[in-house]
Amino acid sequence: MLARSCLPSARAVGVVRNGAVKTTKRAASSSSSSTEASTPFRLNMAAAAATTAAVGSMAWYYYLYGHELHAMTPAEEGLHPTQYPWVHRQFTKTFDHQALRRGFQVYQEVCSSCHSLSRIPYRALVGVTHTVDEVKVMAEENEYDSEPNDQGDIEKRPGKLSDYLPNPYKNDEAARAANNGALPPDLSLIVKARHGGCDYVFSLLTGYPDEAPAGAVVQEGLNFNPYFPGTGIAMARVLFNDLVEYEDGTPASTSQMAKDVVEFLNWAAEPEMDQRKKMGWKVIALTSALWAVSVWVKRYKWAHLKNRKLVYTPPVPRARHH
Amino acid sequence: MGFFDSWSDLVAAASPWSAVEAEAVGSTPAASEAETKDAAAGDENEDESKEEQEEEEEEEEEEETVDPKEKFEEECKESKACAPSKHHFEECVERVTAADEGKPVSKKHPNEDCVEEFFHLAHCASQCAAPKLWAALK
Repeated sequence: MLARSCLPSARAVGVVRNGAVKTTKRAASSSSSSTEASTPFRLNMAAAAATTAAVGSMAWYYYLYGHELHAMTPAEEGLHPTQYPWVHRQFTKTFDHQALRRGFQVYQEVCSSCHSLSRIPYRALVGVTHTVDEVKVMAEENEYDSEPNDQGDIEKRPGKLSDYLPNPYKNDEAARAANNGALPPDLSLIVKARHGGCDYVFSLLTGYPDEAPAGAVVQEGLNFNPYFPGTGIAMARVLFNDLVEYEDGTPASTSQMAKDVVEFLNWAAEPEMDQRKKMGWKVIALTSALWAVSVWVKRYKWAHLKNRKLVYTPPVPRARHH
Repeated sequence: MGFFDSWSDLVAAASPWSAVEAEAVGSTPAASEAETKDAAAGDENEDESKEEQEEEEEEEEEEETVDPKEKFEEECKESKACAPSKHHFEECVERVTAADEGKPVSKKHPNEDCVEEFFHLAHCASQCAAPKLWAALK
C-alpha cells in the first residue's frame, strides 16, 4: 500500500522536474523543441499527480496515526467530572468560612466514621470554622494517651487544642478489615491527591445513580459510581437529603452537603490558600509600583538624550572660478 | 515572608481601615436562623395569599428536601441538547435487555453494556446542570 502510493508520487516529481528544466531552457534559449514538452496536457498531468500524491499521503497519515489509542476502556478510565464554578477557586476569592463550618459538620457527622483526617489538629480549626472555646469542647470529647505516670503506665487524658483529629481505626489493617478489604483513604490531602480535585470529589459523592446501567457488571460488595475509575467503588452512597441538620438553617440537600464538605476538604488540603492569594496580590501591587517607578526614572535619565537636537550646518560653498 | 509581614504590620499600624476582626461566631448562627425563619414565614404568607388550595401539598413538599442536582439533571436529560445521548442510551438499554424479554442476543456483542452511553448522557446532563446548580446552592 505504501509502495503503491509512493510510486505515482515519484513519477510526479520526475514529471515536475522535467517540466521545470524544460521550461527554464525554453525561457533561456526559446528553442523550438521544448514547446512540445510543455503542452497543457502534460502540465495538467503533473498538477494532478502532485495533488494525488499530497491527498494520498495525508490519507495514509490519517489511516496510520489519525485515531487516538486508549489503553483503557471508558469504564476503566471513569467518567471525567464536570467542572463546577467553585467560588473559592477564583483568583480574588477566599474560602467561604460558613461553608467550611458546615463542611466540618458533615465530615464529623458522616465521613469521620470511616475516613481519618490525620493531618488536621484541633488548633487549625480555631478562627477558621469555630471559636477557641468551641474547639476546646470538641477536643475534650476524645481521649488521648498521656505521659507515662510514676508506675510507667500510660493513662488517658481528654484532648487538647494541640491534638490531631482522632482516627476512626487503629491502623490501616483494622480499617481494611472493617471495610471488606477496602481502605478508606485519609482525607487530609484528598482534594490535591485526585485528578479533578474538588470537581471529582463532589461528582463522586453525588454521582451514585439509582441503579447501574444495563449490562454493567458490578462485583459483589462494590457499588456502581461512574466517576470512580473502574466504576466499582467499595464506598456506598452516604449522603442523602437531610442527613445532617445545619445550625445555620441551610437546607441540607445531598448536593449542598457535598459542596460544603468538598470546600472543607479543600481547606484541609490547602489551609494556606487565603493567605497565598493575599500574598500574590501583594506581589502584584509591589512589582507594579516598582515598574511605575522604573518607567519614571528611565524618562528622567533619558530626558537629555531624548530632547537633544542634532543640527548639521553644511559648509557654505565657495564660489568657483573656471 | 518576614519582610512582607513586617511591611504589612507597618501598614496596618499606620492605617485605621486594615484591621478586620472576625465576629463572634456564637452570635451569627442565631441571627441567620432568625433571618431564614423570617424569609420562610414571608414565603408562606405569599403562598397563602396566592393559592390556598395548594397549601397542604406545598407543606408536604417542604418537609422533604429536594436535591437540586437531581432536579436539574433530570430536566437537562429531557432537554434538546441531551436528546441524542438519551436516545443512544435508551436504544442500548433496549438492545441489552432484549435477552431478558426472550429476544435473541446479538451474536456480535454478547456481553455489551451501556456504561459508555450512560457516561455520555451523565456528562451532558451534569454539564448542563452545573451553572444552575451552583446558582441554587448556598
